[in-house]
Amino acid sequence: MPGIDECLLEAMRLPGARGASLVDWTSGLALGTVGDAPGGDHETTAAEAAELARIAAEHGTFAAHGDEPPPLEDVIISNGDSYHLLRFVDTSFDSSVFLHLWLGREEGNLALARIRLGEMASRLVLG
Amino acid sequence: MVRTTPPALPVRDKQNTRALSPMLTRLAEERATGVLVREHGVLYLAEGRVVHAESPHAPGLDVLLTAHGTLAGAAWQRAAARTPGPLHAAELLLDSGVLPTGALELCHLDALYDAGYFALAPSSTPGRFRYDSAPRLGPLPSVPVVALERETLRRRLLLHRLWPDPAADSAPLIRADPAAGRTPAAGRAPAAPVAPRQRAVLDRVDGLRTAADIARNLGRQAFHTLVDVRRLTAAGHVSPTAPAPPVTAPLPPHPVTTDPDIALLKRLRDALEAL
Repeated sequence: MPGIDECLLEAMRLPGARGASLVDWTSGLALGTVGDAPGGDHETTAAEAAELARIAAEHGTFAAHGDEPPPLEDVIISNGDSYHLLRFVDTSFDSSVFLHLWLGREEGNLALARIRLGEMASRLVLG
Repeated sequence: MVRTTPPALPVRDKQNTRALSPMLTRLAEERATGVLVREHGVLYLAEGRVVHAESPHAPGLDVLLTAHGTLAGAAWQRAAARTPGPLHAAELLLDSGVLPTGALELCHLDALYDAGYFALAPSSTPGRFRYDSAPRLGPLPSVPVVALERETLRRRLLLHRLWPDPAADSAPLIRADPAAGRTPAAGRAPAAPVAPRQRAVLDRVDGLRTAADIARNLGRQAFHTLVDVRRLTAAGHVSPTAPAPPVTAPLPPHPVTTDPDIALLKRLRDALEAL
């Protein structure tokens, strides 16, 4: 069964992966990081990504119908040279974490990464 | 009504070299192994790294894992009975494979940073360190002292930005508006919307529970609960109850009964019943 580091290293094997982290969106704490971060600082990246994740998670506009957590699956950002994929992790205990994958746009495959990251998020907490 | 966005999450200040506990800094430098007991919590160090933390203000790993059935309470108790402390119990659970590694690591880190935040809170008494070979670097992740200190400072700043008054952190909480949760009366502005995780906190505000009680009740990290409590306070949903006035009334100089034997026997009975 993978731990946090194994999970992030697995994410880094996706084509185009530049950096990956596990972030708590209430506090903005990075619980694990591998690879690079935009701007070179994982802590700043974690705080900014947490901000985005929290806003998306707390606004009812984006939630699926029903009350079952987590409210969201992914937040996807694209820019001129990269993608950011935030995958909410659904845990059986109380938590507010997501996996953040930073993907180069040239080599990356967003659809594949989205499916794989979802599988990794499940394996991380379900075994 | 457009909701005002809460202030941005602060980033750790790497330039800030102010140590929260000079003793802890020294212990980290000498790569000490042992137990640091402070007023609001305990840090377990192995080779200068924090391997485990406990605080009466934060729910333990056992609460986080069992509150929502991730782990059966009996399974934790079996592991705890066979081991000297919660960290060892968690390692035993990891070994036995009853929990996914990632889930256990995540809960362990959550609990460590959570209790560590309170353990490093300003204290009125000096900490005591006991050299002890029991804490060791094990299979669960450990955290450098400096990382825990920086994160604790960042969390203090986060709470301060959300709502600068810490009174709601420790006092019993009360709903600021008795009509909260009902349809607002005609002509009254609706209260700011409450996010689902905040709603769980708000639902448990009853005039008696403190944030720590609510955290335990929810099986949620105490710091997460404080974030929601400060935000609910800032939005006007919740306020701390006024501290109880200190008991200044002098005790009656004599027991009501004038017979000294009966008065003594009554006090003795009351004391025994209180045991």
